Amino acid sequence: MTGKRYGMSIDIDRCTGCGACMVACAVENNVPPAPEGATDRKGITWMRVFPVDNGRDGPDRKSVFVPMLCQQCGQDAPCVSVCPQQAVQVDPATGIVGQMPERCLGCRYCMAACPYHARYFNWWDPAWPAGMEKTLNPNVAPRMRGVVEKCNFCHGRWHAAKERAVGRGAREIDPADYVPACVEACPTAAIRFGDLNDPRSPVAQAAQQSGSFRLLEKLGTEPKIYYHSAREWVREIGRAPAGKEQVHG
Amino acid sequence: MRKTTRRDIFKFAAGSAAGLVFTPAPWRLITDTALWSENWPGIPRPARGQTRTRFTHCALCSAGCAVRARCVNDQPVSLSGLAGSPLCAFGLAGHQLPYHTGRVKTGAIEEALAAIAQRRSHDAVAVLDLRPGRTASWTYRRAMAALPRGFYLAAQSAIPAVNLDQVRTLLSFGAPVLDGWGTPSTVLAARSHFRLIQAEPLESHTAMLADLWLPLRKGSEQALALGIAHVLMQEQNAGASFPAEATAYSPARTAQLTGLPEAQIVSVARELAPGGALVLASQEWPEILQLNRLLGSVAHTIVGRRETPVPASWKKAAPVTAIEAVPDGSIGVLLIDESVCDGYLPWNAIEPKLAPAPLVVTFASSRAGYGRYARFTLPTAVYPEMTDDIPPALDSAAATFRLATPLVAAPAGAVEPARFIAQLAGLPPADALRERTDAIQSSGRGVLRTYADGKSIPVKGVKPDDFWKVLNEGGCWVDAPDPVEPPASACQSSSAAVVAMTWEMRLARGPMSPLLSKLYEESNLRVRL
Repeated sequence: MTGKRYGMSIDIDRCTGCGACMVACAVENNVPPAPEGATDRKGITWMRVFPVDNGRDGPDRKSVFVPMLCQQCGQDAPCVSVCPQQAVQVDPATGIVGQMPERCLGCRYCMAACPYHARYFNWWDPAWPAGMEKTLNPNVAPRMRGVVEKCNFCHGRWHAAKERAVGRGAREIDPADYVPACVEACPTAAIRFGDLNDPRSPVAQAAQQSGSFRLLEKLGTEPKIYYHSAREWVREIGRAPAGKEQVHG
Repeated sequence: MRKTTRRDIFKFAAGSAAGLVFTPAPWRLITDTALWSENWPGIPRPARGQTRTRFTHCALCSAGCAVRARCVNDQPVSLSGLAGSPLCAFGLAGHQLPYHTGRVKTGAIEEALAAIAQRRSHDAVAVLDLRPGRTASWTYRRAMAALPRGFYLAAQSAIPAVNLDQVRTLLSFGAPVLDGWGTPSTVLAARSHFRLIQAEPLESHTAMLADLWLPLRKGSEQALALGIAHVLMQEQNAGASFPAEATAYSPARTAQLTGLPEAQIVSVARELAPGGALVLASQEWPEILQLNRLLGSVAHTIVGRRETPVPASWKKAAPVTAIEAVPDGSIGVLLIDESVCDGYLPWNAIEPKLAPAPLVVTFASSRAGYGRYARFTLPTAVYPEMTDDIPPALDSAAATFRLATPLVAAPAGAVEPARFIAQLAGLPPADALRERTDAIQSSGRGVLRTYADGKSIPVKGVKPDDFWKVLNEGGCWVDAPDPVEPPASACQSSSAAVVAMTWEMRLARGPMSPLLSKLYEESNLRVRL
């Protein structure tokens, strides 16, 4: 066991809402385009950017974009404890909350349990327009209809990095070898990735930075996605104090 | 011998079932079933094979970002930008464009040729180029010069460049400054140096990210431009070139028309006054260019750019004709190159120029644009199937030459518009891209950049064949700084540089990757127009 705890830091103040992370994620992980009849509730977007405002009008109105993905909760992730199939597990070597579609029976308990709405159900067989299946990433298997899926920090890339490390005769992955697609695609470098257990990693330092926060931290799910904003109203939305309607997406 | 009873059979069956659980068989069966269901015929299987990296340039817009393509068995499976030069969401899914369901794959090429041949002898022929400045554009101009009555029309006239490094305050009238305008890496690098004021009725992406959003009334953009000019003219006493109508747009009247507070209009004008200002718009309003002139932006933040060299023999090409200069009812044959698109002319500006029963032929990969008005839509290659050069980006002060080289083969039956039109005009068959590359190399100007190893080599030391090879492998030629400052008139020829197309406008004109449903249908990040 290497004792890694992979996590992300997302600087909301740098996010331009371009959606490059969403598209790069879908390309990397063979997430199919929306079939006829898909809505923003039934589509599959492992990474999804939400426009959020402070709820005011006129010159006082302020808006930001908040990229949302599986928050990679700690050992007691809600989705892990409710899964009757043990299809969701936290990898002790990486801290990544993994989803195994082969075990999933599609009960969607995990979707109900996830406080971040970061899990998606395959309502349809994965399908691409004729010929487009040639562009699929060979390192990731498409998931079948009837199972749940979510962000796994581009696990295919982790495997590839692991293979490269083994090829070099190294035991540890070179951090430059393992970068999720959304991190690579972000044009403003708003998303950073690394080992939270390594105090030298930029992501661990960003997590300790002033203005850093985690979504719904009071739930005690111990997410490994750290957001950052210099603006107090943005941080307040992230904390979501009880009894207040916060998000106006 | 004891007789076998029904009870024995039940006991045996129950015992077998219980015993089976303690064997690997059921667990193996579950795994096999799961694996089978994951790989049943309905689930596509990604192809496996040798992986290699190739470099090219994105041809989706004139930013022409450098692209690193990860190919498996020569099929691109993902595209990414290079360090410091990211791709936008549209560019990231560009390798899926050839498989768009709405793509035009067949066309009546022979019939189109026959129909054109019938009309061209007694009618004027015009080519409308939606991305001027390419080598193909020069072919069109040469072809139109070879015809007795040929017009070369461009969606944008002479395009000056924007020097974002000099910009301190950017006033945008609905231009998508942070959402598809310019080169993403250049705009983002310069963003911390300028204050962005976005005047737009709706809260667009750029409005959300602007330092100041002016939610003015729809259709009052020109009034705001005139109102700002009024303040500048009053406070600086410098505005002789501005139309007299600006005098009628006092802050009070402008406030009434735009719905913005009077004090805010005055403060915006004062913010722009000290210099380093640039005004952009989403439409070609004359007031915008005049405001740029008034602010001293021309030849400061809007700059001229040397032309990328072309062979001397090409100089006898037809000039760019403004659509307004074309006589009404004169064009009998209109050929539109829609294979790439950076701008467009509204159909209501084109229609009066067409002769009765005109022959409109469009070269496009979709019928979404001018195809609805055309008698023939001839299929073209799409990025990343096409071989084309990309004109210098709007925000590049230096001339550049980059090639979008094919990552996959174009389908049989795809027409190359430049070749088609050159043939029509009887131009001698030649590889125009290679000819132009040789002209650039022989000029000895600038440097050749290679992305694979991140080197810059002076062109003087590169042989023509090597120059061509490097460009085809994703290299880029960048011109040397112009020792002679271009005249201010070079920057004033048009307001085109300050007009920016939104992604939604581009999307409405051609196919985009089906995966962009993530942005449009499967999330509420963007709204399709």
